[in-house]
Amino acid sequence: MFYQTSIKTVCVAAVTFGLIAYAMLGGYFAREIVIEIALLAMLAIALDFLAGYGGMISLCHGAIYGVGAYIFGATTALSGTDPWLAALAAIAGTALFGWIVGAITANVGGIFFIMATLAFGQMAYVIVFESRALGGDDGLAGVGRFDLSAVGVNLNDSLQFALLCVAGMLLAYMVAATVLRSSFGRTLSGIHANEDRMQALGLSVRTHKANAFAISGAIAGAAGMLAAQHTQYISPEYLVWTLSGEALVVVILGGIGTLAGPVVGAALLVTLEHFIGGYTDRWHMFIGAILIVAVMAGRRGLFGEIEHRLSRRSETKTEAGIHA
Amino acid sequence: MTNAFKYLLVGALALTLPASAVSAQTKVGLLLPKSGNYAALGEEIDAGFVMALEEAGLADQFTIIREDTEVKPPVGVAKIRKLVLQDEVDVVVGIVSSGVLGAVRDFVDGSKVPLIVANAGNDHATGSACSKYIVRVSFSNGQINRPMGPWMFEQGIRKVYTLAPDYAAGRQMIDTFTKSFSAAGGEIVGSEFTPFGKTQDFGPYLTNAKSANPDAIFVFYAGGEAISFVKQYDSFGLKADIPLFGSGFLTSPLYVNAEGPAAVGVKTALHYVPTLDTPENKTFVGAYQAKFDRPPSEYTVQGYDSGRVLIEAVKSGASDRESIASALPKVKYTGPRGPLEINPATNNVVQNIYIYETVADGDALTQKVIATVENVKDPVNGCVMQ
Amino acid sequence: MSGTEFWATQFLNGLQLSMLLFLLSVGLTIIFGLMHFVNLAHGALYMLGAYIGVSIAMWTDNYWAAFFGAPIGVTIIGIALYTGVIKRMRKEGPMSQVLVTFGLIFVIVDLVRIVWGSIALGIPTPEILQGQVSIFGISYPAYRMFIIALGLAVMAGLSLMLARTSYGAMLRASVENGEMASAMGIDVEKLLFSVFCVGCALAGLAGVVAAPVFSATPAMATDILIPTLIVVVIGGLGSLTGAIVGSLIVGFIQTFGAVLLPSFSSILVYILLAGTLIIRPEGLVPARK
Repeated sequence: MFYQTSIKTVCVAAVTFGLIAYAMLGGYFAREIVIEIALLAMLAIALDFLAGYGGMISLCHGAIYGVGAYIFGATTALSGTDPWLAALAAIAGTALFGWIVGAITANVGGIFFIMATLAFGQMAYVIVFESRALGGDDGLAGVGRFDLSAVGVNLNDSLQFALLCVAGMLLAYMVAATVLRSSFGRTLSGIHANEDRMQALGLSVRTHKANAFAISGAIAGAAGMLAAQHTQYISPEYLVWTLSGEALVVVILGGIGTLAGPVVGAALLVTLEHFIGGYTDRWHMFIGAILIVAVMAGRRGLFGEIEHRLSRRSETKTEAGIHA
Repeated sequence: MTNAFKYLLVGALALTLPASAVSAQTKVGLLLPKSGNYAALGEEIDAGFVMALEEAGLADQFTIIREDTEVKPPVGVAKIRKLVLQDEVDVVVGIVSSGVLGAVRDFVDGSKVPLIVANAGNDHATGSACSKYIVRVSFSNGQINRPMGPWMFEQGIRKVYTLAPDYAAGRQMIDTFTKSFSAAGGEIVGSEFTPFGKTQDFGPYLTNAKSANPDAIFVFYAGGEAISFVKQYDSFGLKADIPLFGSGFLTSPLYVNAEGPAAVGVKTALHYVPTLDTPENKTFVGAYQAKFDRPPSEYTVQGYDSGRVLIEAVKSGASDRESIASALPKVKYTGPRGPLEINPATNNVVQNIYIYETVADGDALTQKVIATVENVKDPVNGCVMQ
Repeated sequence: MSGTEFWATQFLNGLQLSMLLFLLSVGLTIIFGLMHFVNLAHGALYMLGAYIGVSIAMWTDNYWAAFFGAPIGVTIIGIALYTGVIKRMRKEGPMSQVLVTFGLIFVIVDLVRIVWGSIALGIPTPEILQGQVSIFGISYPAYRMFIIALGLAVMAGLSLMLARTSYGAMLRASVENGEMASAMGIDVEKLLFSVFCVGCALAGLAGVVAAPVFSATPAMATDILIPTLIVVVIGGLGSLTGAIVGSLIVGFIQTFGAVLLPSFSSILVYILLAGTLIIRPEGLVPARK
């Protein structure tokens, strides 16, 4: 079950302030990195919400992110729709996509669930890749951005856009945390812990799982919608399945079932990629090796480890038993 | 002498020098895939670019900053922003995939930094989406395939079946060929686009093509798909009855040895083959072979010419973004692939297209040029320079 | 080309693709069915089979040396992976397995780039299997006939081994009830290790068999993963019959989709997949529990 502990608050705040400071003090590339971290963290929060609290390990979140980017990108680029309306459409569309996948796969478990979601994501990828109207593999240019000039924010400025993405990350965290603290969130954790018992209590497991997938999909879609605004260009690359894998890596590195972990994990993974990438073109290999070692060493993840150490020291009552 | 003082002095000297002298340092951002599926192409282009600088003896005049696009458009955008805004390069060189080119196009145009495209062939980049800051020295998809239509018709071929992977470049290459072959009087008796990047089993498509009874088959495939296609074409026994034609990437020197004897007799068109019998090309091939012990590919030449046009532009006095951008379209010289110039109406390269046959030379395979179509220039295609 | 000849050739094309898919997916599915281990790096082992095959064929100038050498080479690499990583991950949940093998893909692909370079490589078709053979008046590439025959042989061999040999009986017993099997004196650990080796050898075999038709590229590791997963999910993960049924369905749908509905052929398989998941989530022929 989810508790907004003070350790979580401190960790998320620390990463947020770190990102803001880096964006403000660093150069242009620092802002690109901040945006990359914030968007990846949003995607990973969406996945952790579903996998860590609902037990649904989805490998189609990369595709949902891409669908969000495409709905936003295609409506603004092709029909010149207002970006706010397009963003709403992107979030609603990805929620629907998530709901459908969740409803179809509700009684599929374990590895079958992982593979089924992978297949759905791949289906979306193929449809986008082969669609002439959406530009096929060439993608679409001319994607718009939000117009915040009314409140004095110029999103064409890279710093202000980076700050918007950090705000998006924070909002995604708060939405996920709020839902998890609601009765719906408690029920979701209950389904994760014992599906049969919840069913016996008269709950519709399928509806709850589909709804959780919809909420998670909406958060992932919002991240994709911001990504489309960031590059102002969309291509099928946004839906590629390895992105789903990367999101899962972030969740694991940071700590699954913690919600704060994905934020820490995203910062860690992106930093590592750029750090190692500065030395060698073969950085994928090192990331792969780090991933193997991290998974084998323990399942707590970085945030989980911090939380574990601190809570053991202070003996405060936190979420003992959740990681079992 | 303090460093600051040194820079001041150099700056002062640069101001007093005549404009024709090569300026102190030109900062180049080399934006190529170093990982992902096109890494091999990135390596070739990089090697060619460096060769051009070394040949001119100007390697120390250029500072090269390399960034990896990973063949991912979002990464390409982030990297070009870094090169332009943070590293403040004078010119960006590279870009293999048309997807990445499409993604960075608006940024390049908006930030007014010259981009020398070293591969990506999307017709629109020097057509409806052209920019005075984007100069392409490689090729356009249409440019390579357009001459094949009339030429094949002249060879007595009347009915052609076409095949290509189902993605933008595949469609552009086939569309151009279809138009030029039909205009010459030929007939396309069938056409199919195969799913891209799957199991690469062309059996069903080859059987379909055979049953359409064409005089010839025209295809575009590249990389791993090219190897698979050429081998499967041969294994189905089609080569004996229906000759295979295509765009020259099909039998590129990079892959032709993996295709083996199956490639012998395939006739294709390309903007460069390493066996061109010109003094410029012989020097180039010699230099490359001394370094890498294999013949260069069209990708190496694209990298080389990207470097060469930049050097020519700088030699003509260009030193900053604006002057490099306006000097690039005026560049004109004869290089390894023959006479080369930039068409100022589109900023696409004007070059010879070579129709060549892959022939066996002992154990190895080599390219025999059978026709040269000179100075192939793309139509303006809706390009408005401003 | 007459109508009958056309359809007969397309039938053989479908069968050939099915057999290739079967060779690719059977290793993945038996490792899962018997060991409950999900190996996303199966595609990477397939790629290694192709590359090791290329090297052996180049050194020895003999395809058959590669044909036998590549599965052995891949098995040796598989053993190293097993002792280093996989053995410890066996008891973990599917997510950890997915992640570790996801990491292995990255590592293996980059190592292949370092050893063999990024340029696609090929193996010539063995001399004896060049050209076409003629059956019932239809000429068909000899090498493709060889793939069909090999696929059928592996199918028959594995079925017989599982159903008729004492090794098969021990395997079935260990899967049914591991504790009971070890109480009966069966070394379950050793048995499952041997299953893993067989799975690796089959991946290597698929790689070296596919190499003369396709080419060896670093992209193989991930390109093949999705089609393979589709085969095992449709057929039923973990069952040999499932792999057979799944590959035949996918192979024929892809082939006849390409003939009859070319613009839908790549979506067709996914529609089938979604349908299977809705109606029979554990696949058409699931492994017995």
